[in-house]
Amino acid sequence: MRVHVPGSGRLNPTLTVLLYSSIAAAAAAFGVIPFAIRDRVPLAWIGWANALAAGLMLGAVYGIAEAGLETRLLVAAGGALLGLGFIYATHRISRTSDLDLNRLEESGPEYGYQVLLVQWLHAASEGVAIGVAMSIRLDLGIFTALALAVHNVPEAAVLCAVLRARGIRLRDAAGLAVVMNVSQVLFALALFAVISAAPVILPWTVGFVMGALVYLVMSELLPESYNQSGHTSIALLTSVAMGMVVLIKGFLL
Amino acid sequence: MSPVALVFVYGTFTALATGLGALPFMFVRRVSPRGLASANAIASGLMLGACFGLIVEGTEYGSWQTIVGLNVGVLFILLTQRLLSQHQVKFGPLQEAGGRRMILMMVVMTVHSFAEGVAVGASFGGGMSLAVLVTAAIAVHNIPEGLAISAVLRSRGVSVPACAAWSIFSSLPQPLLAVPAFLFVAAFTPSLPVGLGFAAGAMIWMSFAELIPEALEDAPNRAVATAVTASLLAMIGFQWFLRG
Repeated sequence: MRVHVPGSGRLNPTLTVLLYSSIAAAAAAFGVIPFAIRDRVPLAWIGWANALAAGLMLGAVYGIAEAGLETRLLVAAGGALLGLGFIYATHRISRTSDLDLNRLEESGPEYGYQVLLVQWLHAASEGVAIGVAMSIRLDLGIFTALALAVHNVPEAAVLCAVLRARGIRLRDAAGLAVVMNVSQVLFALALFAVISAAPVILPWTVGFVMGALVYLVMSELLPESYNQSGHTSIALLTSVAMGMVVLIKGFLL
Repeated sequence: MSPVALVFVYGTFTALATGLGALPFMFVRRVSPRGLASANAIASGLMLGACFGLIVEGTEYGSWQTIVGLNVGVLFILLTQRLLSQHQVKFGPLQEAGGRRMILMMVVMTVHSFAEGVAVGASFGGGMSLAVLVTAAIAVHNIPEGLAISAVLRSRGVSVPACAAWSIFSSLPQPLLAVPAFLFVAAFTPSLPVGLGFAAGAMIWMSFAELIPEALEDAPNRAVATAVTASLLAMIGFQWFLRG
């Protein structure tokens, strides 16, 4: 079953990438909602938000892997190694390998910069994913961008928890969350442009996205959440979110 | 050979392949906590990769049935977990937490073998070449499963032959289920997506509730992340390769 995708026919492809990656970035603003409703958000919620984000991301990765893995499996494997190595190196260089992203009580300026830097790099990898998915097929790209948009909401909620703990106003926290995700738009556009100029690199980039995103989920999103909310609820949320994305993709595309 | 015997032989072949997973441990003497953490991480990556394949295959037969199966699978494991935690559990030399995890793993692996057995049996309805392909795929796919089971057992002091035996045991439902599935394809086919979803739900749960948090306790985040990522990608690539 193929649904009509708004924008896939009439809109210029590059504008489609711009539009949907911007939607994904803007969705981060909704991360403040739990903080608007409640003054103090329980710690378990932050773990759940992480788990939700992790599951959605894994589902999106699978969508790209399924559509993008052509016969050039070895090249994709090479790309995956590159993606894994890239995130590993950025963590290493920015000294954030084992950074706990949810230390609410920590208020030193250095920790604040590290959290923002990690957030920015994380969003950049997601931008690469959107750009690659758009290059495979526009409707897959739109699906990926929307899945990542939903993913950005709980992710921004975690960031907002850190920002709110530092006494930053709700409005500013929402703004900062969106700004951190602007790298998503930039990288989505850049990757889309580069791949359309040199389609040879597509299998490499597909591998890159798989390696980088799975690594991000396992190293950034999941570890802390287990301590915050307990194994059972984390497993439940992650598996349901992941299964839903894979299923919805099966329905639509 | 009569067709029924042939199906049974093929099913037995896939079950025996699981035992091969214990072989590497003849050469590895002792497994450190760090090594166990890596083994857990690798096993969870392989299982997650397998789940994607199961869900996709399930949605080809029927999406709603797959969703139902997925949820039933998660609920089933959750209840088993609850049940096990209420009783004193011994599994060979293992007790308490270790034994509980091991039994859970055996239950998951054995239950998901039911779906694989049905897949082998049902595939004979689609002609000999399809049957050979599916049997080979499942047999090869069983080896890392045996490896995962053996890794957890071996590191907790179970002997290599016993590791192989438990691995094969976890796959015994395959020959047993393949025959009725072959004889009553029409009756079994509608339940196939439910079974596939069930297996996927159970394995995803196993990964996120048991294996990954356990691995994170004994190894740094980046080591666990690397192992899970690499094995998950290898499994997806491998499935792609098998599907041609």
